[in-house]
Amino acid sequence: MKCIIEAKNLIKLYQSGSEELRALDNVSLQVRENDYLAILGPSGSGKSTLMNILGCLDIPTSGEYFLDEENILESSEDKLAELRNKKIGFVFQKFNLLPRLTALQNVMLPLLYRGMDEKQAEQRATEKLDILGLKNRLSHRPNELSGGQQQRVAIARAIIGNPPLILADEPTGNLDSKSSLDVINIFAELNTQGNTIVVITHDVEVAEKMEKVVYIKDGRLSKTS
Amino acid sequence: MQLKQLFKMVLINIYTNKIRTFLTTLGVIVGTATIFLVVAIGKGGEAQVNQQYSRLNVGTIMVMPAMRGKVISPLSKSDAELFQESPYISVAFPILSGRGDISYNSISCTGSFSAIEPEFQEVNHFTLKEGSFLSAEDESNQNKYVILGAEIAETLKDGDPSVNLIGETITVSSRRFKVIGILDLLGDSGPGLSYDESVFVPYTVGQKYLLGSKANPTIVAQAADIESVQNAIADITSILDENHRIGGAEQFRVRDAGSRLAAAQESARTMSLLLLAVAIVVLIVSGIGIMNVMFVSVKERTKEIGTLKAIGAKKKEILTQFLSEAVVISLVGGIIGVIIGGATLPILSYFSLPALPSLSGVLLGLLFSAITGIFFGFYPALKAASLNPIEALRYE
Ligand SMILES: Nc1ncnc2c1ncn2[C@@H]1O[C@H](COP(=O)(O)OP(=O)(O)OP(=O)(O)O)[C@@H](O)[C@H]1O
Ligand SMILES: [Mg+2]
Repeated sequence: MKCIIEAKNLIKLYQSGSEELRALDNVSLQVRENDYLAILGPSGSGKSTLMNILGCLDIPTSGEYFLDEENILESSEDKLAELRNKKIGFVFQKFNLLPRLTALQNVMLPLLYRGMDEKQAEQRATEKLDILGLKNRLSHRPNELSGGQQQRVAIARAIIGNPPLILADEPTGNLDSKSSLDVINIFAELNTQGNTIVVITHDVEVAEKMEKVVYIKDGRLSKTS
Repeated sequence: MQLKQLFKMVLINIYTNKIRTFLTTLGVIVGTATIFLVVAIGKGGEAQVNQQYSRLNVGTIMVMPAMRGKVISPLSKSDAELFQESPYISVAFPILSGRGDISYNSISCTGSFSAIEPEFQEVNHFTLKEGSFLSAEDESNQNKYVILGAEIAETLKDGDPSVNLIGETITVSSRRFKVIGILDLLGDSGPGLSYDESVFVPYTVGQKYLLGSKANPTIVAQAADIESVQNAIADITSILDENHRIGGAEQFRVRDAGSRLAAAQESARTMSLLLLAVAIVVLIVSGIGIMNVMFVSVKERTKEIGTLKAIGAKKKEILTQFLSEAVVISLVGGIIGVIIGGATLPILSYFSLPALPSLSGVLLGLLFSAITGIFFGFYPALKAASLNPIEALRYE
């Protein structure tokens, strides 16, 4: 099966003062199409650092990274922006919705950045929100929605452009247990429909619900905890 | 992203910050209104100068006593006759002017009177409403005739249009004169005195009865054509030096209408430039205000910018968005400023400041407000566009 993520020997060094910090130490990772993977690790283990690189928001100090067969390390800033738009759907811990836009407008954004016209984007965003049970919340602004609803809007925004990879960083970190379960169920459902999902978390209970789990500690990946 | 949608986002962001936007635009409003008014005042001033001088022939040269110092040997009719001998001068004649009471029956008013030669009519393009102008015979026979300016005539008629002044006797400074003509209304006022409020008598008569032989006349000389003006002035100066050995040409001022017109236009322009400079300073200050607000806005929205970058916004798109925001804010201020400027015009005309609204004033105002937005919005927008996506996302 096709490799969505193909990362080899990723190293990320941070220079803090005279000390060098190895946030990622020789990380190699393969994620295939339709995988449902959790990356589990304690605080400070390097989860966010890894997620930033996998999400094309940052460049590793050394190593190789192919996302859906595109070589990330050779891409320009604008190319990376385009890859983020087309290949990745981000779900953040704090939802990261734009506060002044309505739910519908938030979901439309990735399509608009692709240059799609408004009518078409609006139609597709309405469908997605409908599927996620937010039919009656289209014109609500984020501050008029509950945390669980906001995260569902964020998921709609992540999947609207049918990206090959959905990347979630602590997606349940700001939710109560009921809403957390909702989000996990949505991910499971999306996975059965063929989506590739990588969830980064420190929560064992969340990780257990995924198909596969890899562990990260002190910047190193392993198959066992 | 298509421009239309980007623009929509810009408007949404501005609209949610209505009050801040309004406060930010205040400076731009004042600056643009000032620019609009400056252009209006400039145009009004120019129009006024042109109108004031419209009757004045650019070939007209005035020779008058210098402002300062005593005239030891005053100008006289014989100077005018000598000037006229110059090949560069077609005609030259003296004028004497003064102010006094002018009355007809029981009606009396104060006005100016001028003792003139018949050529004066031609040089000033006077036309008559009634009667005839002073003739050469009136001058040589020393007829005590008078021509009335239009407004003086109206005053003396005391609102009764049936009164016929031609042939009537009026008094000027208690001397009796017979009215033989009334001028058409000129409507404009020359610099200093208005001919509509003047009366005109033959030169020698005026000198004898109204002003006395010691009065200092002014000589009006008409250059043969515009090219001759400088040569005519040179001839006049040398004649003055020759003819007034005591005191010399320095006792007199020689001014040609062309350079007076140019000087008046120049001073109107200087005034406009000064006001324009003030307006630009106001806009610069307001631009700094915009820059400040944009910086605050970028800071507040750091996390949003990170999110936009994560979902695929390119650097150029963020730049365009924030720059458009600054430009829209300043343009809104510009539009309000032009409207306020337009609303202020009646107040200016109430204080009889000449001001003419014009399309170029509107466009210049809007252009400057847009430039302010672009110039001062660029740096904050660039800062937003250059934010590192990770740091922006992590920002709380
Ligand atoms: N910009 C940076 N400069 C220097 N050190 C950094 C930077 N970002 C992260 N680090 C360090 O790298 C290590 C890994 O950080 P990272 O944010 O990836 O941890 P994490 O697993 O996401 O933790 P958490 O669960 O608390 O979010 C930490 O020791 C952190 O201090
Ligand atoms: Mg983290």
